[in-house]
Amino acid sequence: MRVDQILCAAGPVDGVTGQALAYRRLLRGWGWQGEDYAPVQAAGMPGGAVRPLHQLRPARAEVLVVHYSGYAPGLAGLVAAARRSLLVSHNVTPAHYFWASDPAEAVRCQLGRAQLGELASLAGALAAVSEFNAADLRSLAGREVSVIPVLFDRRGLPDSRPHRTSSPTVLFVGRLTPHKRQDLVIRAFARWRTREPDARLVLVGTPLSPDFAATLAGLAAELAPGAVAFESGLSAGQLWERYRAADAFLCLSEHEGFCIPLLEAFHFGLPVIARDTGAVGEVIGEAGVLVDGDDGVGTVAELLGIVVSDGELRAELRVRAERRLAQFAHDAVGVRLREQLAMMAAS
Amino acid sequence: MKDPQEALAAARAAAAGTREEEATPWSLEDGTVSTRRLAEWAMIQPETARVYSTRRLGRPITAVKRLLVRMLRQYIGQMSAQQSRFNAQVAAHVMRLEQRVAELEEAARDRDQPPA
Repeated sequence: MRVDQILCAAGPVDGVTGQALAYRRLLRGWGWQGEDYAPVQAAGMPGGAVRPLHQLRPARAEVLVVHYSGYAPGLAGLVAAARRSLLVSHNVTPAHYFWASDPAEAVRCQLGRAQLGELASLAGALAAVSEFNAADLRSLAGREVSVIPVLFDRRGLPDSRPHRTSSPTVLFVGRLTPHKRQDLVIRAFARWRTREPDARLVLVGTPLSPDFAATLAGLAAELAPGAVAFESGLSAGQLWERYRAADAFLCLSEHEGFCIPLLEAFHFGLPVIARDTGAVGEVIGEAGVLVDGDDGVGTVAELLGIVVSDGELRAELRVRAERRLAQFAHDAVGVRLREQLAMMAAS
Repeated sequence: MKDPQEALAAARAAAAGTREEEATPWSLEDGTVSTRRLAEWAMIQPETARVYSTRRLGRPITAVKRLLVRMLRQYIGQMSAQQSRFNAQVAAHVMRLEQRVAELEEAARDRDQPPA
């Protein structure tokens, strides 16, 4: 069988690209053929991994899988021309988060939202990587959407043996954008640091814009001078080292369609504190500490103190995290994907 | 403790009533852009400092890109001026509309008020 895939954009550290390439490894393992295509590719993508979209012949494949994460012109015609198509929603961030800081990004999100609805009406079958995304797509399309969770392949990751530093370190990994709320992470960390003066916060992620990066850096300099490191452009090996050197993972995002770094934190045995918004709750399950809308940064600061110092709690969270990761394992997700594609091919 | 819920309850109890717990807005406000901000954005001024390479060892690439910007400065200047002119007209139009709406709302309020 031939399955081609479309990505809205491809990049070496992009989560959606990682998923499409993980799907491809699975498909090849089953002896299925096909290629992956994207209209734009960021610098650093390995040559030949993803082809330019204009080379795609949509009717060639038995199934065309569209990994949708943002506006890309011309997709509707390709989906309409495909013999069978599966639209997988990886979520489009609501535009209102970007109007004030990056209007062009806001316009792209707005267009993406409209395009998602259009593609949902054209695609043969619909899927999403989380129930949160599925519910959103159902409301747009008015028909059934299945959930195929993110495929988290641990085989390429180093072991979780910690390489802790003497300073207690809090980590968050995610693009520096308004909805990821790194500002709240900094505030909670700064509050905790009044009792742990050696503590460090590491924020890994490419900034939305130089202005937005400067705003966060200014907040960090004001509330926790010298204790917050902003890092971007890390290699995979360097990123894994940041996880291994950390003592806790803190995610206070206001909107997440999935959040793969939560699974990475689980893999590296980090206790996770996260805000229960978007798909975060369903990804974490009972394997982390979830704060809700009634909690504030004071509660988060107290929790940081507890999860960093309480060995019994850390051990329990590690056990739960291992159980949780099994649900996103290669085999478990592979079965669902294969069922979905085989069912479509047979129809 | 072994249960995350127990940890959360302990943290909530410790944080209850503290200034930090109550002072920080938890959700972002509506991201609507004010007309003043719109006017600030209208006049675009591309900065050469923001032309750079994100690649490893990208310093020579950055230098080449900045040289190209310098060589094309006449063309970039014309393009920026053209875009700024359009942006400023749109921003001014929005401001006039905003003012007009405010005047109409005020007039409607005056009309709806019962005579004293």
